[in-house]
Amino acid sequence: MILVSRLTAIASVAVAQLRHDRTRTLLAVIGVTLAILSTMLLAGTGLGVVETGQEKFENAGRDLWITGGSVQFTPSQVGGVQNSIYDAHTFADELRQRDSIRTVGPLLFQTVYVSSDGEEFQTIASMGVPSSAGVSISEGRGFQGDSHYANGSYNGPMTHEILIDERTATLLDVDVGDRIHVGGTITSARNNEFTIVGVSSTGNQFLGTPTVTMPLSELQEITGKTGTDPATIVAVTTTNDSNPQAVAQDLQTAYPELTIRTNQEQFQATLERQAVVLAGGASLIVLAVVAGLTLTLNILLSMVYQQLPQYAALKALGNSSITVTGVVITQAIIVGILGCVVSLGLVIPMANGIDHLATTITGFENVVRISPQILLLGTGVATTMSLLSGLIAGTRLVGLDSIRILRNQ
Amino acid sequence: MVPRSTIYHSSSSTNTSTEVDPVVTCTDVSRHFTRGSSHSGWFSRSSQSAEIVTALSNISLSVTRGEFVGLAGPSGSGKSTLLHLLAALDTPSTGSVTLAGRQTNTLSTRQRTKLRLDHVGIVFQHFHLLPSLSARANVATPLIELGYSRRQRRQRATELLANVGLDDRVHHTPGELSGGEQQRVAVARALATDPDLVIADEPTGELDTTTGKRVLDVLAAVATDRAVIVASHDPQVLDRVDRVIRLRDGHRQKVDETT
Repeated sequence: MILVSRLTAIASVAVAQLRHDRTRTLLAVIGVTLAILSTMLLAGTGLGVVETGQEKFENAGRDLWITGGSVQFTPSQVGGVQNSIYDAHTFADELRQRDSIRTVGPLLFQTVYVSSDGEEFQTIASMGVPSSAGVSISEGRGFQGDSHYANGSYNGPMTHEILIDERTATLLDVDVGDRIHVGGTITSARNNEFTIVGVSSTGNQFLGTPTVTMPLSELQEITGKTGTDPATIVAVTTTNDSNPQAVAQDLQTAYPELTIRTNQEQFQATLERQAVVLAGGASLIVLAVVAGLTLTLNILLSMVYQQLPQYAALKALGNSSITVTGVVITQAIIVGILGCVVSLGLVIPMANGIDHLATTITGFENVVRISPQILLLGTGVATTMSLLSGLIAGTRLVGLDSIRILRNQ
Repeated sequence: MVPRSTIYHSSSSTNTSTEVDPVVTCTDVSRHFTRGSSHSGWFSRSSQSAEIVTALSNISLSVTRGEFVGLAGPSGSGKSTLLHLLAALDTPSTGSVTLAGRQTNTLSTRQRTKLRLDHVGIVFQHFHLLPSLSARANVATPLIELGYSRRQRRQRATELLANVGLDDRVHHTPGELSGGEQQRVAVARALATDPDLVIADEPTGELDTTTGKRVLDVLAAVATDRAVIVASHDPQVLDRVDRVIRLRDGHRQKVDETT
């Protein structure tokens, strides 16, 4: 009972102090809130990238991804992509002969010039696919096959049909049914008009930038790549009774110069290429926590220093170090709780806002995911920060030399 | 702990034996300080060229219940140092201080804190009230340590404030009170734990004559059944005490005044 009475008394003094120093209290709460929010949003972004990425690979309905090595964009070259697989159509046909393989889809990523009027050109990404069956279409229809290849002669009819994503539609101010110029060079683009037959976000989700999607051989034609028949990546679906891992090993043995990955391996490779970005995110979390801790501690210490004579007087009057320190620690805990509550209330709307912004700018959806674990992380950070800052500030009072402080008054 | 029925009159101090027994005694007390070794923070360093300074030298003194004693002397004479020793805030370098029957230099810091809580009330020149708390809450702060319930703390603090004439200022914060009122709140706080000894360091130093007189009236009333020791330059204070102990350069002057 005595303990409860002491604790409530300490809490009431702490609350009174915080209410009296409202500006400082507000600053401390803002500091803690910012630190917790940053931690949760950055961790939520990490989680979102991982989970959404995994889902994208799983939803693509492919089992294996074959590349000629690390895929790199090289803006100085026409088409701008390195490490292609050559003779892609032939290679795809070879793969289709295998009993363990159900479908093969060579994909070519290139940068192209586009224009809605043939006068002003912009550079965007393009994706060549053997058929529009593998892409999701939200408006309009797909295009008619890949007839231009014609067994490698490239003299079959060109469909001149193209899919665009919403960002390209906005960029060029065009819609389904309109015609646009597309080519690997401006001259080529002036000579090649395509009819927009549908809207698809698949290419955008692969590349994170405005993308047009067209038949593979037509993209090769307009970018001058028919001589080498390149593909950036070949997506493979195995038969139901095959083990993708085993098929990958067989293919790796048959094609040692290529890189063959399962969904999971391809996803990990993608993440590994973003190691610097991920490390940057982790550093930002640490910095946010340290900055929040420093701000809270600084404000608490300034409150302690401002009232050092009063605390010294309390100790002189017989109040124990535990009581005096308890007031400071309680203040820190209250600031931590307030910061935690505010940030928990703000994190979902802010995550939605960032998601909306990211979708608008990059086309990626669900970039930030706030799971219960993320909320728990925020609460943990708030608890740790408030306890640590309270203990550090409180330690200043444990060894308080009352006589020296009172003598100097 | 059961509070006395009023702040001025102790029910446990009615016979002659308690009046004769000293509340605090110091015998041949000296206090030396090392100048240049004070620490002002976590990262401060001690000076290598420290100098020993004697603040008090061979002081002996005894104060009994019911006495109102003044400590006089110029700045630097050792008044505050002696007050700190008598209040068990500090311990002597040599000699001994006995407070409520216990030698302070044999006690740990925690034990001395408890001894002060049980037996000493302190009034500071600058009041040192917590600005965020009401007068009543300030008076009640020492009672936190004793485990009083919220109701008991409020009741006791309200009584004490009424006895120093501040029953209409209970809910005011220090910023809303005059200097004299703040000092009376500080006196009430010093009496909260019903101490045997009240010490006051320049209690009228920040007050005008009229306000200072009112605070002195309160301290004089307090001294009817406790030992009260006041350090002051103020002739008004020294005129009101039972006896004056004069210090100069850390030494007690041979002739003390008795008023």
